[in-house]
Amino acid sequence: MSAAADSAHPSAIELRGVTKDFPVGLRGLKLRAVDNLTLNVPAGQVFGLLGPNGSGKSTTIKIVLGLLEPTVGECRVVGVPSAQVESRRNVGYLPEAPYFYRYLSGAELVRFYARVCGVPRGRFDARVREVLDWVGLTGAADRRVGTYSKGMLQRVGLAQALVHDPRLVILDEPTAGVDPAGSADISQMILRLKSEGRTVLITSHLLAQIEDVCDRIAILDRGRLILEGAVAELVGRRDRQALIVEALPPGELAELRTWLAARGRVLESVEQPRARLDEIFLREVARAEGVNREARP
Amino acid sequence: MSAERVPFSCGRTSLIAGNTFLEAVRQRLFLFLVLLAVALVTGARFFQSFDFGPDLGVASLKFTFDFGLGALVFFGSTLTITATAQLFFSEIENRTALTLLAKPVWRAEFIFGKFLGAWAVVGVFCALLTGLLAGLLWFRAREVLAANPEAFLHGGPVAPGDLVIVCVLQWLKFGVLAMITLLVASFSNTNLFSVVMGFFVLVICHLQSFAHQAYAHAEESSVAIGLMIKTLARVFPDFRLFDLAEQAGHEGGVNAALALRAAAYALTYVFVFGFLAVYSFRRREI
Repeated sequence: MSAAADSAHPSAIELRGVTKDFPVGLRGLKLRAVDNLTLNVPAGQVFGLLGPNGSGKSTTIKIVLGLLEPTVGECRVVGVPSAQVESRRNVGYLPEAPYFYRYLSGAELVRFYARVCGVPRGRFDARVREVLDWVGLTGAADRRVGTYSKGMLQRVGLAQALVHDPRLVILDEPTAGVDPAGSADISQMILRLKSEGRTVLITSHLLAQIEDVCDRIAILDRGRLILEGAVAELVGRRDRQALIVEALPPGELAELRTWLAARGRVLESVEQPRARLDEIFLREVARAEGVNREARP
Repeated sequence: MSAERVPFSCGRTSLIAGNTFLEAVRQRLFLFLVLLAVALVTGARFFQSFDFGPDLGVASLKFTFDFGLGALVFFGSTLTITATAQLFFSEIENRTALTLLAKPVWRAEFIFGKFLGAWAVVGVFCALLTGLLAGLLWFRAREVLAANPEAFLHGGPVAPGDLVIVCVLQWLKFGVLAMITLLVASFSNTNLFSVVMGFFVLVICHLQSFAHQAYAHAEESSVAIGLMIKTLARVFPDFRLFDLAEQAGHEGGVNAALALRAAAYALTYVFVFGFLAVYSFRRREI
C-alpha cells in the first residue's frame, strides 16, 4: 500500500476564510460554528485539529468532506473544491463513534465500501484482505460488525477509510472509548500512514497521543483559530535543557549548584523522571499476556 | 484544479439499493407485515359462511380475489410508507450516511439507491402475495368446476396474466408512494413526520377523483379556486389509474393499453418526485 504525497499540491487541505452559521429557531438567529477559519494542512504530514467540545472541529471536518457547505469562504481538498464529489476520491474518513451496518461481517462491510469507492472489480478480495490485515482484523473478518468491540469497530472503520488507497485520511476521535493498548495500536497505524506518504488529519482529546504522532496542530475555540504551528516548536523550550543523571547524593548536588552558580547559572529544579502511565499499562499488560501464554499447556 | 470526473453511477446506486434491501428484510416489521398479509389472503379461502347468491362459483372467486387484492393494497401501502421512511432515517440516525456520503457518492445515487431498495422490498412482498393469491384462485376454481362444470359459462375466473398485471400496477403505484415518502423524508427531521405525511398523501392520491371532477368544472369556479384545483390535480398522482381490478375476470381481461399508460404515468411521477427529492436532499446537513 503506498500513496506518495502530491508534490503539485503541497496543501492537502486548504481552508480560506471559512465561516459556517447554523440557523437556530424561527427568528432568524444563527449559531456560528466556524468563524473565518483559514488553515493549510500540508501534504504528507500528520495534522492535529484540537479544541474543546463545541469548538467547531467536527463542523470543519464535515466541510472538508463536503457534507456541509460553508456559509462563507472556500475549502479545497488536494486542490479540488470540497463541494465537488471528485474531492472525496482521495479522502478516507473514520467518523467519531463509528456506526456501521451491523448485519454485515467486517469483510462484507469493507468490500461494500471498496465497491462504492470504485476499487477495480478484480482487486476487491485482495484489497479487502490487505486492509483488514493492515488493521489487524483478519481473524475477525467473517464476524458480524454488530459483535465487534469498540476497538474492533475503530479498526474496521480505519479499514473502510483506507480501502480505496486515499492520499488524505481524516480520523475524527479515533481513540474515543478505546483502551490504552488499542489507542497505542492506532497511534502506530497513524505513523505508518505517514511513513507511506499519506496526509492524516486527526482530532482527539488525548493530547499526549497528539503530541506523539502529530507534526503540526491547530487549536480552535468557539470556531476561531487561536493557535497553529509545528508541535516541536510549540512544546519545546529552546532556552531550557534537562539533564538526566543517576541519583546524586546531597553533597554532590550541592557541589553542582555551586559549580553552576560560579558560571552564572541556576539549577531551577531537581526532579525524578516519571514513567508515563500508558507506558506502564502497556508494559504490564504485555508481561501478563506473556505469563499467560507460557502457562498455557 | 480539475479532477477526474466522478459520473453518476448505476453500479453505486444498485449497491446502495442492495444494502438497503438487505437491511429491510432483516427488520421485524417486514416479516410481521408479510405474515399478517399471508394470513389474511389465506384466510379468504375459509370465509365460507358468506351467502354468495345463485352464482356461487364466480362470486366466491371474486370474493377471494377482492379480499386478497385488498390485503395487498392495504399492507403494501403500509409497508411502502413505513419501510421507506425507516430505511432512510436509519441511515441518518445511525450516522451510516455520514460514512457513505463521505465517499465519492452523489446524493442522487443515495436517494435513488434508497428508493430502489425500498421498492424491491415492496416488490418481493407483492410477488409473494400475488403468487399466493394465484394459487388460492386456482385451487378454488378447481373446486368450483368439480362441483359445477358449467360454473364459468358467464364469466371465468381471473386469468393468471390479468392477476399479475393488476398486482404489477399496484407495485408501480407503491413505487410512486415510496418516492413521495422519500421526498418528504429528504427535508423532514423525523421519521414520524415522514410516515404521517406519507399516509396523508396516500389519502389525497386516492381521493384525486374529486379533484378531477372539480377540475372539470374549474372554469365555473373563481380563478383562485380553479387554480388550486388544477394544481392539486397535477401535483398529486391519481392512484385510481392503477386500479384495473374490475377488468380482471371479465371478457377481454385487463386493457393492455391502459396498463401501459398507467406504468408510464407511474414512472414519470417516480422520476419527477425523485429529482425533487434529490434537489431537496442536495444541501441537507448530514
